[in-house]
Amino acid sequence: MTEPVLTPITQALNDGVLTRAELKALMRRSDRPALIHLALWLMLLGATGTLVWASLGTLWVWPAMFVHGIVVVHFFSIQHECVHYTVFRTRWLNDLVGYICGLVIILPNRFFRYEHCDHHTYTQLTGEDPEQIPMPKTLGEYLWYISSVPYWRAKFQELGRHAAGRLTEVERGFIPKEEHHTIFLEARLMLAFYASILLACVVFDWWAPLWFWLIPLFLGEPVMRFIRMTEHVGRPAIRDMKENTRSNMVSAPMRFLCWNMNYHAEHHYASSVPYHALPRLHDKLKGYVHVEEEGYLGAHREILRHLFGGGSEGRRA
Amino acid sequence: MSRDKVWTDLIAVSALESGDVTPVTLGHRELAVYDTLEGVTVSYARCTHGAANLCDGYFDGRRIECPLHQGLFDARTGQAVAAPARVALRMIEARVQDGMVQVLI
Repeated sequence: MTEPVLTPITQALNDGVLTRAELKALMRRSDRPALIHLALWLMLLGATGTLVWASLGTLWVWPAMFVHGIVVVHFFSIQHECVHYTVFRTRWLNDLVGYICGLVIILPNRFFRYEHCDHHTYTQLTGEDPEQIPMPKTLGEYLWYISSVPYWRAKFQELGRHAAGRLTEVERGFIPKEEHHTIFLEARLMLAFYASILLACVVFDWWAPLWFWLIPLFLGEPVMRFIRMTEHVGRPAIRDMKENTRSNMVSAPMRFLCWNMNYHAEHHYASSVPYHALPRLHDKLKGYVHVEEEGYLGAHREILRHLFGGGSEGRRA
Repeated sequence: MSRDKVWTDLIAVSALESGDVTPVTLGHRELAVYDTLEGVTVSYARCTHGAANLCDGYFDGRRIECPLHQGLFDARTGQAVAAPARVALRMIEARVQDGMVQVLI
């Protein structure tokens, strides 16, 4: 007996939303767009880093580090695309860049890949989606999540657990036994890397990593939490991909910064479509997926409406 | 009693998606026909990891990528070559005869 269709794109093809020829054209891979995008993106990172440098020794360094941090946390967007192998046509380049991005934002790449696979299989299904951000029940919970404190607490616990050679039951569900040692090694190498950086800071009295990287990362993370909430939070906790995921229409500079991650429903529909083709997929899937025309702010207005307006039980985790 | 396998017509070569993977149904079987750089091969169409239909995935002429998790298989041998795919694809012996792809089934 044949298994039921799991892939949303297969469903979309069956529904006649797009043709196989259109899908295949959208899936075409290339190194060139990503290499150009990456070069420009790193120039932007350099520009915000220069703001930090220019304001060192003044109070302006704090807003400068916040602005720089907003760019730094978007290393996640590149890493996210890399774990789908859709940034570069050359598969190992996705691994290389994904690992580097993971090092920058303290997110082990191999572990994230496995966890993210389950997120795509069980999107927004409570108890099954390992990346589900629960719908907050109070304004306090909403603000607490955006503060990033619970995020970092979970990430550091996760890193420590893996470095100690332990996995939770949920993690054992999505990481094959043969890969456990890789996950443990990856966590240990990441901790060793950060210990080396901090040791270098102390020994050489060289604090640039703090001003240009780590403090901006922690200052910027609430912005990433704010953005990540807009992908699924407030949408129904059901399997239907037309309902459980939200795309957000944002400005061109924001799309550049986030590598088109705002086209999140389209991405969930066809995760093999490269980031640079998502706007074209968006045109094909118009009316088929849930789109928030007012962008991230519109998505948060919807979340807050559910929070204060009641009737959100079905949307909660 | 098991019957001997016989060569069975599957699809005309002219009907294949050139240089890509074509979905074909044979009875209750969902099959994937790959027009690889080294000839035509056939496998069962479902990914051995998440049961997604590989025919909707990205094919580079040698390797087929699952559309759900981007696990990778060698479409010539069925070997799983990148996580989360670990179990090889079940391949079906295939040949091209008089413009038809045939499978031994």
